[in-house]
Amino acid sequence: MTVEEIFAALEEKFGVKREMHDKWGVTAIVSASYLHNVVQFLKDETGIKFDMLVDIAGIDYLTYPNHEGPRYAVAYAFKSMENPGARIRLKVLVSEEDLKVPTISDLYANANWYEREVYDLFGIVFQGHPDLRRLLNHVEFVGHPLRKDYPAQKRQWLSTNDYLLPELEKRLETLGYRVVQRSKEVETNDNEFLEGSIKA
Amino acid sequence: MIVLDPNGEKLNLMPLNVGPSHPATHGCLRFLAAMDGETIVASVEEIGYLHRGFEKMVERGTWQQVVPYTDRLNYCSAIMNNIAFCRTVENMFGVEIPERTKVLRVIVNELSRINDHFVCVAAAFQDLGGTTPFMYAFNPREEIMCIWEKLTGARLTNSFARIGGLSRDSYEGFEQDVLAALNSTEKALKDLHACLDRNRIFLDRTVGIGKISAEKAISYGWTGPCLRASGVASDLRKDEPYYDYETYDWEVVVGTQGDCNDRLQVRLAEIEESVKIVRQALKRLAPGPVDIVDPRIRVPAHKLAYQDMEGLIGRFKSVYEGIRVPEGEYYCGSECANGELGFTIISDGSGHPYRIKVRPPCLTQFAAFHELVEGGLLADSMAVLSGLNIIAGELDR
Amino acid sequence: MGNEAEKPNIITSSLDFLVNWGRSNSLWPFPYGTACCAIEFMSTEVGRYDLSRIGSEYVRFTPRQSDVLLVAGTITYKQAPILKRIYEQMAEPRWVIAMGACASSGGFYDCYCTVPGIDHIIPVDVYIGGCPPRPEAFFDAMFDLQKKVKDESFMKQRAESIKDQLEMIKAKTAEAKRETAACVREKIVDVKDFMKEKQQDFVKKAQFWKE
Repeated sequence: MTVEEIFAALEEKFGVKREMHDKWGVTAIVSASYLHNVVQFLKDETGIKFDMLVDIAGIDYLTYPNHEGPRYAVAYAFKSMENPGARIRLKVLVSEEDLKVPTISDLYANANWYEREVYDLFGIVFQGHPDLRRLLNHVEFVGHPLRKDYPAQKRQWLSTNDYLLPELEKRLETLGYRVVQRSKEVETNDNEFLEGSIKA
Repeated sequence: MIVLDPNGEKLNLMPLNVGPSHPATHGCLRFLAAMDGETIVASVEEIGYLHRGFEKMVERGTWQQVVPYTDRLNYCSAIMNNIAFCRTVENMFGVEIPERTKVLRVIVNELSRINDHFVCVAAAFQDLGGTTPFMYAFNPREEIMCIWEKLTGARLTNSFARIGGLSRDSYEGFEQDVLAALNSTEKALKDLHACLDRNRIFLDRTVGIGKISAEKAISYGWTGPCLRASGVASDLRKDEPYYDYETYDWEVVVGTQGDCNDRLQVRLAEIEESVKIVRQALKRLAPGPVDIVDPRIRVPAHKLAYQDMEGLIGRFKSVYEGIRVPEGEYYCGSECANGELGFTIISDGSGHPYRIKVRPPCLTQFAAFHELVEGGLLADSMAVLSGLNIIAGELDR
Repeated sequence: MGNEAEKPNIITSSLDFLVNWGRSNSLWPFPYGTACCAIEFMSTEVGRYDLSRIGSEYVRFTPRQSDVLLVAGTITYKQAPILKRIYEQMAEPRWVIAMGACASSGGFYDCYCTVPGIDHIIPVDVYIGGCPPRPEAFFDAMFDLQKKVKDESFMKQRAESIKDQLEMIKAKTAEAKRETAACVREKIVDVKDFMKEKQQDFVKKAQFWKE
């Protein structure tokens, strides 16, 4: 089974379209509502098992010449470990009004961080994501820097270091622990914590 | 904090912050661990401390100006990143680079891999308390650095590759220098194996530590030596061969246990394979041109700019407007020292990149870090971290 | 006392020389290494270049045991508070080296997330150019810093700090005196009022009994 055949199967089953911009490989444009099913199909049911999620990339088409259609897109790249060299890409178009894409972090473990990154840089919300926080930028950052309308030199100071204790409690709970008494650092006295901060 | 464990027993856990400035977190990684005595019960990681805006910066320059930025992704093996990026763009053009360039790229690629693996193993030893192997590993590395100096003019951030060629041809005496460096590499490998293989302390601290199964590693998207240590023979140089890697005589190194020791041993064995490849490549190195003769892709040589009109126009246009990469989007991955370094490139047909997304191999490996350290000792987490070889520049871009 | 120490004499200047000699030849760095420059710093430490030759024998990873904060690599806004805190944790005397273009000026990352030079956060003594600087450049910076350390006068600093302390003590005493005086005045007024009231009471009582 070749990648082209899988694309034909996807076309028949989910009505995906071919992305004509990708002249070198196979890219399917999937509607957001089918995304989870398509990924599940690729992972388990095809002849080539696409068992590795290679990358998730957000794209902002604001200044793309002669672009028609929704402003954002999220591109997924998959590869197969059993059939080396078999790769397929999926693309979900996301309109500015409805910045929502279903998560696939339940299928691939590394989708968790990739989706957080796309959320951080583009502001696209992944529905059903267990912990959608910023990944690369700091907590006090406002806006989404990789959008084309974000000025490259707009700097934002961070006043104090972020602490991860709430996330640690969440992690403990997923491991089956139950927090009885919170650590007293969780509710820090803000004045005390901000002492030595660099906010002007 | 006081918690009830799954059996309903009361535990008093201590949250412990490690990093971002910690001797064993190379670069700036941070994790917060909930400690029960010396044991890590749970851990969460935080990254982004070296987020330098690679993807935003490259949108402002021309295509050739991306090359210096790629240097600083994985700064232990800068040339590999250059080559990975240039290969992606060359594939978009659909051009074939000259034979000599292919061989030269293979040589510098593998020398960079040796460099990178030496840094990883040396730093791992340093973190576990051994200074001697650190010195052993850095001696051949310094020799390779000297070759870089002669070849590219820089020690660390070389910017050697260009789209459609190389920044310059090799110098006179390059082959002898490389052979000498290979010899001292082999000597250092012998020394390192003598320090490592039967060292009780080292084995106690690395064998069986930070184990990960092949399925889990694949689910986390691991690539490169860390995945191979788990027993998956996946190497893009064999799977999707480029630069005639399939015609060289070498083996994909595979581990069995997927633990910290395997990850380091796989790296050392890969150095041996790289030495083999470089020795073969040196024999194939035949004189010839290194650049594509196409002023739309590669800047014409300086000589031409002074002699004929075409060369002058080509030089002017490619410097001021940038080369025009065909419109479209493309993903291409290359086997770098840490795994698959991929570039998703979206070009609108102009002289500037519209969007370049890097697929860093480290990110997926560090995303699985909590799975590796939970249940282990705090001291083991350092061994795990150095075995993964997380490079912050690549992780956060 | 202050006047005597300010003028260099044979005792103070030889003590200065001794202290500076000691300080400049045992500059223990704290490598705050974040990026590429840290890898080059590793090369500086090992065999070929050997940082130990100029007395920077130990690389200390705790701010409390080190003299020189060596910022090697890009500092982002996410890291800025951490760098500042580490600088504040270092004991005096402390010096800062900004290694490489990124630490000095932000380098070619002129972007939403990089601090354009660490001097926006902490004071810097020596800047090193280069991306990354060669080990030789790093040594040059260390020699510059040694010169700078040798120019400092330990006794002068000490005298100044003692002077400052004296002035502070004087100011504090004066303040305390003023406070006590004010307090005493209040007390006296209180007592006077009390006496007046008592007197009036007595007068009232006497009048009552008279009637």
